[in-house]
Amino acid sequence: MKSPGQRRKLISLDRAGLVYRRRTGFLRTSRFEALTDVSLELHEGESLGIVGRNGSGKSTLMKILAGILRPSRGCVVNHGCSVALLTLQLGFDPNLSGRQNILMSGMLLGFRLKYVKSFMDLIIEFSGLGSAIDNPLHTYSTGMKARLGFSVAFHLDPDVLLVDEVFGVGDANFKQKSQKVMEEKVKSDKTIVMVSHSLPLLQRLCDRILWIERGQTHRSGDPGEILPAYREHLQRSNGAA
Amino acid sequence: MNLKSEASRTYLSFLWWILEPVMTMSVFYVVFGVLLNRRTDDFIAFLLVGLVIWQWFSNTISHGMSAIQHNSRLILSVDIPKEIFPVIEILMDVVKFGLVLILLLGFLWLFGFPVNPQYLALPALLGIQFMLICAITLLIAATVPFFPDVKFLVTVLLQLTFFLSGIFYDPSSIPIEYQPYFFMNPMALLIESYRLVLLEAQSPDWARLAIVAGASFFGVLVSLGLLKKLHYAYPRVLQP
Repeated sequence: MKSPGQRRKLISLDRAGLVYRRRTGFLRTSRFEALTDVSLELHEGESLGIVGRNGSGKSTLMKILAGILRPSRGCVVNHGCSVALLTLQLGFDPNLSGRQNILMSGMLLGFRLKYVKSFMDLIIEFSGLGSAIDNPLHTYSTGMKARLGFSVAFHLDPDVLLVDEVFGVGDANFKQKSQKVMEEKVKSDKTIVMVSHSLPLLQRLCDRILWIERGQTHRSGDPGEILPAYREHLQRSNGAA
Repeated sequence: MNLKSEASRTYLSFLWWILEPVMTMSVFYVVFGVLLNRRTDDFIAFLLVGLVIWQWFSNTISHGMSAIQHNSRLILSVDIPKEIFPVIEILMDVVKFGLVLILLLGFLWLFGFPVNPQYLALPALLGIQFMLICAITLLIAATVPFFPDVKFLVTVLLQLTFFLSGIFYDPSSIPIEYQPYFFMNPMALLIESYRLVLLEAQSPDWARLAIVAGASFFGVLVSLGLLKKLHYAYPRVLQP
């Protein structure tokens, strides 16, 4: 159904690497290579899944794709598209009402006030908060906040959506609802990059998988091929440990 | 976008903006006016002008210096111009100062310091001080994420400057040979200028003020350039 080769290129990454400097003690710093060598090309309408163990550089890669970080080596080219890293509860202020927080968060994600306002009712309905939406945020439970965060982030549409492990918020009911929305987005030809540790989810949603290991592209390709190999790799290293 | 966040954040702590400076002024009134028994109307007015002007300067710097550091979550989630964070703090303090300034002018008027023609110099003084505050706050805010230690230094320096700015004493009471050095401190110069205008209806020393204005303007440009240049360095040092 999708043939990435013919689609417009949105972002390309060429042998990107990134080094952090960390303060480790008195007047001392150490270099830490979060990403050493990752190349990838993202095409329109694609949904790319990224897997890798903790600390393998997934989140750093997402930040580079979002344009928040710039690689210290290699290069990244954005071919003119808006990218948003989906961050739940971005800029939420506990003293403001749910409604005001929707506006704040939406604007911080890079959308115009008018645009966010036009989605307001939809967002409130999806979050299922009802009349609580006008109460200040600090009266909300953790679950309510998470639901609101998710609803805001998912109703606003950038060209490329970067999703860094944000599923599994709220109760079972809301979880189901949020995964359904995600599936709809994928089907509707949105360009999505997602990081997740839930392999079945990636299997269902992605049409390409990138496996990174110690900051390098380990393998990339079809989910049916990569995911089983990754699962096996995880089990093997667990057995060894 | 940020004006909106400003506006929504503002009216919550609205009352405290006025209460806090009024309470600080009361403390000084009690200490200097009652306990040290220097309760002449002149001295209270003299003290209040110095204090209000100083507080604008000192509050903005203390609020603004950690602005970038405190918004690390935002900086790590969206590609956003980093100068926004200190600028928000600066603007919030401008609003707060505006309210206090109105109170101060009302007080001066009640205590027999009427509006005089020299008030025309007030906008210029405020503008110069605003630029000075911007330059210092932006520069410190730009450095703190890299060297968090700077914050302690700034706190101490602010305290030192507080005593060196002639807030609760008259600069003319210090030995004459030190006076040129004393007025090299831009805050001492500014406070002296405000007093000349508000209390004595005299014209301030424009030549010296022009130097402060020029240096501040240059400082603002340098700080903004620095923030722009380090744009991608902030998310890197602010890693959790």
